[in-house]
Amino acid sequence: MSNEVWVVADLKIDGSVRQVTFEALSEARKKIAGKLGGELCGVLIGSGVSGHAAELGKYGAGKVYVVDNELLKNFNTEGYTIALSELIKKYSPAVVIAGNTVFGQDYFPAVAARVGAGVTMDAIEIDLTDDKKLRIKRFSHSSKAIPTQVFLDHHPMMTTVRPNSFKAAEDPKTPEVVDGAVTINPGDIKSKVIEIKTKGSDRPELTEAERVVSGGRGLGSEENFKYIYQLADMLGAAAGATRAAVDAGYCPYDMQVGQTGKAVSPSLYIAIAISGSVQHFAGMGSSKVIVAINKDPEAPIFQKCDYGIVGDLFDVLPPFTEKVRALVSQS
Amino acid sequence: MKILVIISQTQDTEAKIKVSAAGNSIDTEGMKWIMNPYDEFAVEEAIQTKEKHGGEVVVVSMGPARVVETIRQALAMGADSALHILDEGSPDMDSFAMGKIIAGEIRKLGGFDIVFTGMKIIDEESGQVGVQIAEELGIPHVSLVSKVIEINPTANKAVCQKEIDGGHMVVEVPLPCLITCPDAMNDPRYASLPGIMKAKKKPLTEVKVSDINLDGLTRVKTVEIKVPQIERRLRIIKGQDGPMVKGAEVEKAAEELIKLLREEAKVI
Repeated sequence: MSNEVWVVADLKIDGSVRQVTFEALSEARKKIAGKLGGELCGVLIGSGVSGHAAELGKYGAGKVYVVDNELLKNFNTEGYTIALSELIKKYSPAVVIAGNTVFGQDYFPAVAARVGAGVTMDAIEIDLTDDKKLRIKRFSHSSKAIPTQVFLDHHPMMTTVRPNSFKAAEDPKTPEVVDGAVTINPGDIKSKVIEIKTKGSDRPELTEAERVVSGGRGLGSEENFKYIYQLADMLGAAAGATRAAVDAGYCPYDMQVGQTGKAVSPSLYIAIAISGSVQHFAGMGSSKVIVAINKDPEAPIFQKCDYGIVGDLFDVLPPFTEKVRALVSQS
Repeated sequence: MKILVIISQTQDTEAKIKVSAAGNSIDTEGMKWIMNPYDEFAVEEAIQTKEKHGGEVVVVSMGPARVVETIRQALAMGADSALHILDEGSPDMDSFAMGKIIAGEIRKLGGFDIVFTGMKIIDEESGQVGVQIAEELGIPHVSLVSKVIEINPTANKAVCQKEIDGGHMVVEVPLPCLITCPDAMNDPRYASLPGIMKAKKKPLTEVKVSDINLDGLTRVKTVEIKVPQIERRLRIIKGQDGPMVKGAEVEKAAEELIKLLREEAKVI
């Protein structure tokens, strides 16, 4: 067994490296690699990915393992599972970390099962105990509880981490690039991606955004969601919604924030016409600053936000957005 | 088709959370138990699959005796039989162990074509057990399926749509496979009164976890649970006459909010 600490890069469909990868590298360097006395390493799995090694090096990876195979293009559950499992068996790292993204949630538990490792999901804190076991904190029970979990005597110790939970900090290295030389047989790939549709959008993705503006059912129509988009674009924010707004057809499911949607933890979360249900808070309760604009003074969100205006969104949002616009154009 | 659906009983999300005296578990005294909401979508999808292709739906659930109530609910919705893996609260069982045990029992059942389960359980919220069960069973899985486009037993395949960040992908997978269900993939039916009556007579088999060797299965231990205390500033701007800001107050309120966000919170 080695003392290496691995961070598996999470790639977007366009092939770029997701921010959570850099956040995980930075936090693993700070909290784990030093204490463990092991090298911080990146792992690149995909097709035509070796060029990203330098980016991982920028955030402290001294070594980057690469499995570059055409069969891994656009993410593939079995392909990723084989690639990472084989790498783990071959090099036996102590700790393996990935982002808790749609893809991370899909293959990471399968890898853990295959190599017989323990795994935790969606960690918001990571460190090591005195006897060098991985210790993580995460949310449970609709974000109303934070369990601390410690790994027992099995290796490797694996966890996914929640995007936007750690700061990405550079620590430039020129990484040694290691060809993982994992063989993947086309016959081992059972599930096939037969279509991918991405919507081009200039807005940041919800789970990565520093700021989020979300709308609830009170917006009243798909048309009125333009108020949300306008403010979001003014702030360089992602646009989100409650389940009720999505169910009402005002916006697509991929904008849903909450227990049954995406979990976000931006610096600023602006909730427009959102009452603040337990289920919604399960997805955004860890935001650093929460702002509410709602006409119901009794809305639960006013009991758990930082700033709020009791008022009609159609009265308040236009002047508010205008003032943000003025501010942005000044700076 | 033989269709399996793995369900869990969970604490109601609306429940107030209290940490037990030992400090590393949730006090479940007086707690309301419900079917894990994601599993309702899984049960519905399983029943719709049966309605389309014929066959039977078998419910699999692990937990203490109270879980039978949730199993009966699934049977009342239209499932045909059930396997209850009785676990009277084995201490320190983690998701890894849970996946192994459930997969072991499913393997004994054998002969299934497709397995549905919720994407995660709303109390633990780990979302790893379904995928681990597929891996243990050696079958492919598709997670977070927003829509089952087609299940074709003749061609031995399923086609599913899965949401990804900024879009979606369509995945084709051979049977048998496991599908994890998020929200909103269907509209789960309510159990009818005749359904509830019939459910009482449907076959329910029980196996005990104590008959299963648990040694060395657990990989992760929960050492502490805390209830998060996030102090919020609670600075709410209200109207002078009545709660809502009106007229000239609106402009002032917007101004004040911007100032607070800039100078106090420093987020814009």
